[in-house]
Amino acid sequence: MTAANKSFVDSSVDVGDIELRVPAEARYLPIIRSLAATIAMREDFDLDFVADLKLAVDEACSMLAGAAWPGTELRCRFRVTDNGIGMQASALSTVDALLDTASFGWRVLTTLADSASTRVEQVPGGYRVLIEMTKRGPHPADPRMGGA
Amino acid sequence: MTTRARTKNGYEHLAPLFHELAALPQDDPRRTVLRDELVTGHLPVAEHIARRFAHRGESGEDLVQVATVGLINAVDRFDPTRGTDFLSFAVPTVMGEIRRYFRDSSWSVRVPRRLKELHLSITAAGNELSQQLGRAPTPSEIATRLGLSKDEVYEGLEAGNAYHSVSLDDMLTQDSDNTSLGEMLGEPDSALEGVENHESLLPLVRELPERERTILLLRFFGNLTQTQIAEKIGISQMHVSRLLARTLQKLRDGLLEEQ
Repeated sequence: MTAANKSFVDSSVDVGDIELRVPAEARYLPIIRSLAATIAMREDFDLDFVADLKLAVDEACSMLAGAAWPGTELRCRFRVTDNGIGMQASALSTVDALLDTASFGWRVLTTLADSASTRVEQVPGGYRVLIEMTKRGPHPADPRMGGA
Repeated sequence: MTTRARTKNGYEHLAPLFHELAALPQDDPRRTVLRDELVTGHLPVAEHIARRFAHRGESGEDLVQVATVGLINAVDRFDPTRGTDFLSFAVPTVMGEIRRYFRDSSWSVRVPRRLKELHLSITAAGNELSQQLGRAPTPSEIATRLGLSKDEVYEGLEAGNAYHSVSLDDMLTQDSDNTSLGEMLGEPDSALEGVENHESLLPLVRELPERERTILLLRFFGNLTQTQIAEKIGISQMHVSRLLARTLQKLRDGLLEEQ
């Protein structure tokens, strides 16, 4: 897989992006998924969307936590768009290994999200494993939804 | 149940209503009236049983609410033609409901009573709105329905995150025993084909309780939304969401152990 030379983790932070960094350990996952749920809820996505996003974030981040080098951090950045929510999450690893996209976890992730991809980038001293995913839904700000 | 003999005498006048109820066609509007009357008439039974459990650290009012749900279930399920009297049917049902509540429902952090109630009414409104809309409602639709501010709805939804069990949700929905669904879906073997680690996954999926397995398969292999699954199984969407999160966690942990 070719390393993209720019990723929005390190460049072009969009106004409105929300980023969270936690130690790359399973016990911090509830914090990430709560944040995901809170963002989706406050953007007024429907409850199926909120629940699925939460599960997808959980799945993606636990894959990354599993691949991460102990003692490093997990970064998650959320971006609200006109028609959904995107997340880019990444962890540091010592090996140039892609996540297994034939695994059950990936199957779960791709069912829950509308798009998901993973790649590895070389960084000084190691590798950064990334997952990007988006979940689309009728955005409530959309006049077709009637709004509130 | 030492109380049965004593309370029994006070409710005999209600017994004929059960026969009247059983004789009415399903869509008769009078059914609701009779059902209400039966529930209200037997309320002291629920209150009495709730009091017996009140010292266990749950608030008395919560328990009366749970007991009342047990009573409503008993009224709905009681078959007067079987010859037993209602109380000997209802008392175990109500006690079962309370035991289940103690066993299943624990809020992982202390959640104020107001929030629990808020969460309950949001779940109930969510169920209704899903049926009307044919999809899950948004927080603002729930706010409009309940006449609450959006912030209150957020708060109530968040309170649900602290609550990691089931029985309060169950109380608002129908009985969830549904074995035919699992059969309808067939074996998980074929559904999991093509997943790389499916040999290690299959035994884990087989070990899941029937309902959890059904939900998992419907969501990931049947591609139903959580709301559609909730409707099929007869529980709330939030409950489906919790069960699904727990199931996925269990599978992840199980797969990790394998390695």
